[in-house]
Amino acid sequence: MKRKLVVFLAVISVVLLGLGGAAWAQAKGEVRVGSLNDTTGATSDVGKDYALGIAEAVAYVNDTGGINGKRIKLFQYDYGYRIPEAITTYKRFRDFDKVVAVLGWGTGDTEALSPTITKDKIPYVSASYSAHLTDPKKTPYNLFFTSDYSSNARAAITAWFDHVWKKDPAYKERRDKGEKPRFQCFYMFASPYASAPIKAIKDQAAILGFEVGQDQDVSLTALDTKSQVLAAKSFMPDLVWHGNTTMSVATALKDAQALGLGAHHIVNNWGFDENLPRLAGAAAEGVMGAAVCAFFGVKTPLMPKIMEYAKKINPGVPAEKRLIRTVQAWGAVLILADAMRVADKAGELNGPGIVKALETFRNKELGLGSGLFNLTSTDHRPTSGVPIYRIEKGKFSLVEIVDLRKRWPEKWDKEWLGW
Amino acid sequence: MSYLPSGVYHEYYRQDHAWWQTRFILAKMILLGLIIFYVIPFWSGLYIIGVATLIIYTAMGALGVQLLIGYCGQVTLGHAAFLAVGAYTSTLLILQLHVPYLLSVLIAGIVAGLWSVLFGLPSAKVKGFYLIMTSLAAQFVTVDFILTQYVSQIGGRGQAFSLPPGSISIGPIVLDDDVKVYFLGAILMVLLTMGVVNLLRSRVGRAWIAIRDNDIAAETMGINIVRYKLLAFFVGGFIGGIAGAYWVSTLAALSPEHFPWFWSLWLVGVILIGGVGSIHGVFFGSLFMVLILEGLKFAIMPLIPYYPELSMKFLFLKEAAFGLSICLFLIYEPNGLAYRWWQIKNYFNLWPFSY
Repeated sequence: MKRKLVVFLAVISVVLLGLGGAAWAQAKGEVRVGSLNDTTGATSDVGKDYALGIAEAVAYVNDTGGINGKRIKLFQYDYGYRIPEAITTYKRFRDFDKVVAVLGWGTGDTEALSPTITKDKIPYVSASYSAHLTDPKKTPYNLFFTSDYSSNARAAITAWFDHVWKKDPAYKERRDKGEKPRFQCFYMFASPYASAPIKAIKDQAAILGFEVGQDQDVSLTALDTKSQVLAAKSFMPDLVWHGNTTMSVATALKDAQALGLGAHHIVNNWGFDENLPRLAGAAAEGVMGAAVCAFFGVKTPLMPKIMEYAKKINPGVPAEKRLIRTVQAWGAVLILADAMRVADKAGELNGPGIVKALETFRNKELGLGSGLFNLTSTDHRPTSGVPIYRIEKGKFSLVEIVDLRKRWPEKWDKEWLGW
Repeated sequence: MSYLPSGVYHEYYRQDHAWWQTRFILAKMILLGLIIFYVIPFWSGLYIIGVATLIIYTAMGALGVQLLIGYCGQVTLGHAAFLAVGAYTSTLLILQLHVPYLLSVLIAGIVAGLWSVLFGLPSAKVKGFYLIMTSLAAQFVTVDFILTQYVSQIGGRGQAFSLPPGSISIGPIVLDDDVKVYFLGAILMVLLTMGVVNLLRSRVGRAWIAIRDNDIAAETMGINIVRYKLLAFFVGGFIGGIAGAYWVSTLAALSPEHFPWFWSLWLVGVILIGGVGSIHGVFFGSLFMVLILEGLKFAIMPLIPYYPELSMKFLFLKEAAFGLSICLFLIYEPNGLAYRWWQIKNYFNLWPFSY
């Protein structure tokens, strides 16, 4: 009994010591950045690679001079896509680690933290590209480096309309009869990520003249989507939008093929990566999707560096297992680092200074195969060009870079901001 | 009256059920009150306040679960649903009808309580595993179906609601910083705890405990078990609703993703680790579950620069550790941390003649 008590007290005191005694001195000449990642939760299928990419990109920035000579000190932590844990981790970053900016992850944590970071004036460069975050009047400190989900969705449906519906001889008869293509959305209703672009894609479907069927609710962790596919079958869609992440999209593609849905598929960027043809096999053939930057290993100015650092920092993960997510992580880190350099030179390396610096960037090329980066104080949509790829024999081939601003300048400038 | 409770003998029920049985206990409670209302908010820094706020939120959720599982024996695996109902009720009342925040919290509690009664109705007929299934249904029907498909559409804001700055206020005080939010949580927590403790030492509480211990025996003793079970569901749901409405004030943002099934499971984990059938257990469990995760951050973050693989490979252990800790607690400490606390207390109370 007594020994048990001693052991128990010892455990408690170790825990308390760990809590209290782990404070460490703040070194001079370093810039502190926090990173919230999901490597174990609902979106870990894409989150792991992104987390690796963040660490590698920060190493690259530090090796190439850091922030005007100051090194970035990265605090990276997994929150398992649990919102409460994201909140305490963010508060730890803010109050304990004293970071100047946070590299965030999903729409869940980003939208949940959005009011808080706006209040705290801490730039939050996320991997959530929700268009809800692009109106600086509402969310001035929510930032990202590439095209938003709504633009991805609009571009994907437009590319399919232009390249398949208008050109494919299989549709000639129906085109000539003046029939409308039939369109349907598969996504997880409860997930803010998956539901973010739905209003926009339906708006775009209306502009292009689609007939829209009822949405099907597919979980992000779905292992079986037969009931949804069967429900969709009664509508006989020509085109299905998949708004989830890779694993769930692959499941839906396979079930759609097995049950003979007979539709084409377009996918949002988090469901469209190197793992999709691996997981879905033949079912992924011909699937089109939005990729916000170059795939891993595809030739772009910075890709040799990305591959070098992947090998150097994480030698345990072979190159063929790396994904486009790494490149996306580099995008987030590089744009933040560039903004911090400008802000630092101006002597205001803080939240408002970083955002001000970002808003001076015009047609910035990151070397990652993403669209040119533009940010203004009234419009936080970084780019209007969305590269749409198609899977052909298991490889990605570029269909078109759909520039929405060029196609619909009026709507882009006046109507589409912020949703 | 001595300073130590050892050797205190009660002559009346009133004494036996008194809040503060000795001055020593009263002093301890005053000390605790000082820590909660003075030391933590004014001396500890924002990070600790943030963690304390999460502990309060976890404890509020777990208190309802404790009441249902620990005191009335109605196992629930869907309590996050009632938190969600509370959170959505409060948010929508504020956004759509501009109801004052405190009033919306109260209404949120009542709505969540009634919603909980709806899913408690099967408890009149089924118990045990079958009741667990119906509580699971509460989770999925409420969060994944009703809230996401229909309630989230109200107002056309999209899935994620966000409350404009300044809309969460109590009278002239706008809840816009962590300290105010913490104070609100601490006050609500104290009120809820006192309410539950009071209920438990009353006729209602005795009826619940009788139902938990043996429902047939309870019925033969004249307890209307359906009524009391539903009352337990109402009170559990009410507390959950208040917790959910409180959660809204901590973030000013809301989406169905805040209330996954995992969170229901988490709350049950809290009371299993803290101690089933103990109010202390709610707090010990919440402290444990939140502090372990925060402690892990302290343990791991400084090491990551030297062992970068930790950030990728070690973290799977975190999920495993949750499951393992529950298993270990069930095997080696089935009465939870609260029992251990009771033993420590007794050791000191009875020292040096602890036999």
